[in-house]
Amino acid sequence: MAAGQPRVFLVDDHELIRTGIRSELAGSLDIVGEADEVDAAIEMIVERTPDVVLLDVHMPGGGGLAVLNAVSHKCPDVRFLALSVSDSSEDVISLIRAGARGYVTKNISGPDLLDAIYRVAAGDAVFSPRLAGFVLDAFSLEGKNLEAGDVDPDLDLLTPRERQVLRLIARGYSYRDIASELEISTKTVESHVSSVLRKLQLSNRHQLSHWASERHLN
Amino acid sequence: MSIESPPRAVIGTPHRPFRRGVDNAILGGVCGGLAIRLGVNERTIRIIFSLLALVSGVGLLLYMLLWLTLPRANETQSIAHRLLGRRRELHRALFGLILVVGFIIVLDRLGIPNLGIYTWPFLLSLAALIGVWRGATPVEHKHLEELVRSAPLIRVPASPTKKNLLLRVLLGTVLVLLGLRTLSRLHGVWGGTTPVLFGTIILIAGVLILLAPWWLATLNELSGERRARVRVEERANVAAHLHDSVLQTLTLIERAAGDESAVVRLARNQERELRQWLFDPDHRVADDEVGTYSSLLHAIEGEIESDYGVKVELVVVGDCAADDDVLALVAAGREAAINAARWSEAPLVSIYAEVEPTAVSLFVRDQGKGFDTEAIPHDRQGIALSIRQRMCQHGGSSSLKSTPGVGTEVQLSLPRTS
Repeated sequence: MAAGQPRVFLVDDHELIRTGIRSELAGSLDIVGEADEVDAAIEMIVERTPDVVLLDVHMPGGGGLAVLNAVSHKCPDVRFLALSVSDSSEDVISLIRAGARGYVTKNISGPDLLDAIYRVAAGDAVFSPRLAGFVLDAFSLEGKNLEAGDVDPDLDLLTPRERQVLRLIARGYSYRDIASELEISTKTVESHVSSVLRKLQLSNRHQLSHWASERHLN
Repeated sequence: MSIESPPRAVIGTPHRPFRRGVDNAILGGVCGGLAIRLGVNERTIRIIFSLLALVSGVGLLLYMLLWLTLPRANETQSIAHRLLGRRRELHRALFGLILVVGFIIVLDRLGIPNLGIYTWPFLLSLAALIGVWRGATPVEHKHLEELVRSAPLIRVPASPTKKNLLLRVLLGTVLVLLGLRTLSRLHGVWGGTTPVLFGTIILIAGVLILLAPWWLATLNELSGERRARVRVEERANVAAHLHDSVLQTLTLIERAAGDESAVVRLARNQERELRQWLFDPDHRVADDEVGTYSSLLHAIEGEIESDYGVKVELVVVGDCAADDDVLALVAAGREAAINAARWSEAPLVSIYAEVEPTAVSLFVRDQGKGFDTEAIPHDRQGIALSIRQRMCQHGGSSSLKSTPGVGTEVQLSLPRTS
């Protein structure tokens, strides 16, 4: 991260949302650009290489996923934070799997959003309660509906500690609350969350797609 | 990336690179491409290929080989290249090839006469044709479909002429008769299998050609009508829903413009409702149904947000049917959540629910003012007691944690028997 404020790029097809975010964050961040559609976003992000891209999940022309897929090869240093009103867990998980470092809903408060952006800029993961719920849901299928062969034990299982941390996030605990609850340091909490993110991105496609299809069927 | 090729052969001027033709293609554009490459007339190449096809089917095989391995003009990859890139397709292709070879060998072994020297080229070309269909780009698919549709005898002309009809009936009848004749010669010199096979194929082709126009017309009409009806119905549904929900709420918001909290509440309710409708259509529960654990909790989320004006962050992991025990758990959770909304002064109440194989649990947390659990005021004691009693009655447990200035969390848990 460059010294001082992180450089942030906004991608959202709604003018109102962009305006709102800009006015809320303008003083505390260096907003280097914004785009309202996929192709322009890809072009400008590659050109300006911001620290953090605030990425809308749902947009015409492929959505945030298209932006992420196009940019992440060219600029591995650009980090993405997904921002959405969507409740569709498949969309969110697929964005995370494509490389986004976190997911927050659009009704997040200004200070919380700022906090999340700084965290992503520093290379940490941002798990909102909802995202933690999605992840727990995705991984809770193991051993229940899956054959033993479907699960790659090295990658796919969350450790009890990681599960514990995710549960606390889902219950509304901040990282600091979790640290004091489990009597560990905030840094350790962060590393647990990052490791969950890594597992999510690397884990056996089979299991997560199984989960997603299960969701569609329900 | 596109490689520039002239659309037609320039006689006397060979052109590189060697690509299949697009504009001068009849089937796969192999002859057209070869003509462009060599700078000769397309018709010459076509005649040579046709003649070669008569020589033990060499022309046919050569044609299919070039079709598979030569990229189309303006495309970078050949069909074979695309097929090889897809593992699954490759496996299928190999499997198909083995099947074809096996089939021929069995025919040979059994001494059943077949197409003679044409067997191999014919069947291999058929396999290649399937490969072409699987590996073709959408553009080429379109070309091939167009080709099939415009084949003179399957096509349904917009205005069927007498000549056209006559030709169709004539050809259809001839094929049907030919098929029947082949089938009736079962005891002839040829032996069994082959005449049956070819007789049937010829018969089917004849019937198809005779009936194609009527069949296709009926099919088109039916599917068109169905599609139109579905579209109209879907539109009516969406319109009805938007009218009942979003339009109504917008009117209410307009009317309540002065009252900030009312506007926020209305907007939030509408947002939740619309979101559920958009993203979770299968969880739309009818009012008279009991619903599941998750749907009950969503109802509570809505109730508290609209009644107390605090935000509720609900996260549910897993789901289960709502029996009496679960209903009691939900009721206890509702009490805890209302309590938090009413007394904690926190703007947000977090509810986390989890269904595990062995237990159903519920956590209600706020980051409000909290209280000293040692000195619970009288009115709170009642609520804490009622929650605890409810849970005990149903074999569950509850615990309460609160710190002044930090917040309160109620944990409820119910063992699951099944």
